[in-house]
Amino acid sequence: MSTGTGNGPGAVAAEAVAAGPGSVAAGPGSVAAGPGSVAAGPGSVAAGPGAVSAGPGAVSAGEVAVSAGTGPVAAGALPAGALPAGALPAGALPQEAFVAALAGLPAMGHRQLVALLRRWAAEAAWRRVSEGRGHDDDAALAELWRRAAASVDVHQLWRHHVDGGVGVLAFGRPGYPTALADDHQPPGVLFHRGDPAVLDGRRVGIVGTRRCTRYGRDMAHELGRDLAAAGVRVVSGLAAGIDGAAHAGALAAGGAPPIAVVGSGVDVVYPRRNARLWADVAAAGLLLSEAPLGAAPEAWRFPVRNRVIAALSEVVVVVESHARGGSRYTVEAAADRSRTVMAVPGSVRSPASAYTNALLADGCPPARDATDVLVALGLSTASSGASAAAPPATAATDRRPPPGPADALVLDALGWEPASLEGVVLRSGLAPAQVMVALAHLERDGWATSRHGWWEQVGNA
Amino acid sequence: MIAIIPSATLLGVEGRRVAVEVHVSSGLPGFTLVGHPDPVCREARDRVRAALLSSGLTWPTKRVTVNLAPGMLRKVGPGLDLPIAIGLLVATGELGPEAVAGCAFVGELGLDGSLRRVPGVVPMVGALQARVVVVPVDCVAEAAVVGRVRVRSAGRLAELVSCLRGDSPWPEAPSPPPPGAGSAVPGPDLADVRGQPVGRAALEISAAGGHHLLLSGPPGSGKTMLARRLPGLLPPLAGDDALVATTIRSAAGEPLPPGGLVVEPPFRAPHHGASAVALIGGGTAWMRPGEISQAHLGVLFLDEMAEFPRMVLDALRQPLEEGVVRVSRAKACVSFPARFLLVGATNPCPCGEGGPDGACRCPEAVRQRYHRRLSGPLLDRFDLRVVVSRPDVADLLGGVPGESTASVAARVAAARDRARSRGVSCNAELPATALDEVAPLTPAALAILEHRLRVGALSGRGLHRVRRVARTIADLAGAGDVVDEDHVCLALGLRAEVVPTEAAA
Repeated sequence: MSTGTGNGPGAVAAEAVAAGPGSVAAGPGSVAAGPGSVAAGPGSVAAGPGAVSAGPGAVSAGEVAVSAGTGPVAAGALPAGALPAGALPAGALPQEAFVAALAGLPAMGHRQLVALLRRWAAEAAWRRVSEGRGHDDDAALAELWRRAAASVDVHQLWRHHVDGGVGVLAFGRPGYPTALADDHQPPGVLFHRGDPAVLDGRRVGIVGTRRCTRYGRDMAHELGRDLAAAGVRVVSGLAAGIDGAAHAGALAAGGAPPIAVVGSGVDVVYPRRNARLWADVAAAGLLLSEAPLGAAPEAWRFPVRNRVIAALSEVVVVVESHARGGSRYTVEAAADRSRTVMAVPGSVRSPASAYTNALLADGCPPARDATDVLVALGLSTASSGASAAAPPATAATDRRPPPGPADALVLDALGWEPASLEGVVLRSGLAPAQVMVALAHLERDGWATSRHGWWEQVGNA
Repeated sequence: MIAIIPSATLLGVEGRRVAVEVHVSSGLPGFTLVGHPDPVCREARDRVRAALLSSGLTWPTKRVTVNLAPGMLRKVGPGLDLPIAIGLLVATGELGPEAVAGCAFVGELGLDGSLRRVPGVVPMVGALQARVVVVPVDCVAEAAVVGRVRVRSAGRLAELVSCLRGDSPWPEAPSPPPPGAGSAVPGPDLADVRGQPVGRAALEISAAGGHHLLLSGPPGSGKTMLARRLPGLLPPLAGDDALVATTIRSAAGEPLPPGGLVVEPPFRAPHHGASAVALIGGGTAWMRPGEISQAHLGVLFLDEMAEFPRMVLDALRQPLEEGVVRVSRAKACVSFPARFLLVGATNPCPCGEGGPDGACRCPEAVRQRYHRRLSGPLLDRFDLRVVVSRPDVADLLGGVPGESTASVAARVAAARDRARSRGVSCNAELPATALDEVAPLTPAALAILEHRLRVGALSGRGLHRVRRVARTIADLAGAGDVVDEDHVCLALGLRAEVVPTEAAA
């Protein structure tokens, strides 16, 4: 718990770690070195003084923080994350306002923030930081915080959150998600849009590469749709590619609300072309971020964000990932937390399936369809997934017009991997014009699709 | 005494007539050169003096004034050395005026009295109205291309003076080989290309219809190999076209083929370090034609197109549209012909492997920066956009040789003949309004296009471009007047969006 996001041997290789919270964690243990060395080791909650009361989760943890602090601080004056209506009289700010202010300080990683909140109530912590006493051992950091805090108007900042419809879930406060309160790397704060109550329920993470194939996008969409329809909340990152497709699928089903954990501030839409999807997820479900408002999508934030996805998911499904893709961080974080990791099998020739196939080789259960995932959740009793019982696309369920004989020949040559026109011509042995006629028919009828000059077969959806 | 000798200078790809006026009078000995000479031209004084003395002729100890008329026109290069020297000889009485009557002179002088080659002889001689043009012996073939004037030549100044005086006969100019014959080495043959059925088809269609071609594929997939075989498929230049191509090459100072006349369509492949001026033209005092003009009536090949600065690429858009490029400088404004077939080659992404989705190793930001170099409007000019892949190992080692350049070129020539019967030189120039008449669609072909338009995969402008390409495909296939489904489908298939244009953040 003393270096970076280090939750597994491979994690240190992240491009993010060097610039990211690693630097923040310069002396994390030292902050908590005060009363009873709260953050002494892994599973630090249990090691702390109030650890006995870890039972009912967030509330008790909050009391630990308060009692360990400077004493008479009114805890829980307002329900956590509630958005008070109307103007706030000075001095009546909720604790969450101070947590939001603390989270906006430079070099304030989740470890530093949690360590602060474990020792003091948020308002007291803010006061100490403002007086330059935010860090016992690292005077330079304390001074950095003091100077940054001097220019922060907590009232105005809180008003900005309230006006923007952004709620705040703070570590140790009522309303903080149970699944995260027990985590060994809990976020100090979660900014959110949408209703945090949707966190109650079964949750499955669907993650994967941004540079996915058509197959991956279709699979993510299908999994998201079918799981949401079965009442399972889909947790993902709203990134381009797999993440976005999973959420789009979940929204399309209109079932269980989607949950998104993003790397930038909840008001900084990234990537831009997902703007519509962000708004839809926030409206139908929950949009969470550890990053303060206005935070840019810096590279280091994404591996850090991935641990939150892993912590919030009971099962993590990796749809497609390159050999060295960012999904590794999610998988390692999930393994750390004893979450089930499932992988969608892909072509052994597809670079986008290199990591998922490696996971399967390592013994991860395959996720061939939503049923496989539901079985893993204990929500379905189907022996081994529906896809095992029947071939995936039966003529009965396929509403597409069947391809003619010449078109079927080309569809066969196309196979299940992306192919250029030349590839299909060579494999089918037909003239380019004939192949293109067939491909045009297949595209019109929904059997094939092309992107950037590459053709792919479309599965039965 | 005064002498006036006709000559010419170069501006862009055109010759401009210059009258060299030499005035010799008594007075303090001196030499003054006026009439807007550029620095090279101004140095004529020293070359002419040394050349006269080396040739055993006298340098007058008198007051000499040389005026290059018209005074507004900037005179460039050393081509006026010879007329200045001849004018001096006439003005000092060494040569009788009747000896040079009706003669124009172009050429550079060496200090030893030799006559040297100058660039742009074809346009300069073309501009002259004299009966006889005297040029350095190295330029005879170039000057003879123009045809209507009598070309005389000499190797040295002394020899020339003796011929002009009538003391010795004019040396017999070596008769130039007939144009086109003996053209050095034949270009690379299409038979060397193994496999690549789609790349070959695209090349043939591009040559037949004059459609710009973009090849996208990983390193080693044969993009350059294909592109270099395109000029061989184009019909040889004839008549005025050959003369224009010859004029441009001469103006650029590039060597001409043995026969003098350029009959093979030019192929220019500038490196991606080329500046906008090098590509567009106008880089020197005489406004040298750029790469795109030197590729006029031929092929301009831009390898590694995404490595060119975007500004340079976007400068191509106007000439692509209009077939000419206008270069304006403070001192002059010149039009160059620039009707070329553009062939671009690009990797799909910096790592080269990013063809299909999910195969690329590049970070997203790097990919987008790479693609942003190729602007949408420029990509839109490419009627044919094709993905080429590395050929099969079996094809490389033991595959049968492909069809030869000669047999493909025959089909191309036939298709171009059909296009000419429609009043255009190639189908790419068909006006959109004529398409319904010359390229009517069968119902099946119409249905395919309708579907593409309805799903937004094709724009209105794209529709016209697809129909032109389909017309070319039908011409090559020897189909009738009606464009059928397979022609349209192939045209659509060869118009892949090989580079994502939605390079959004």
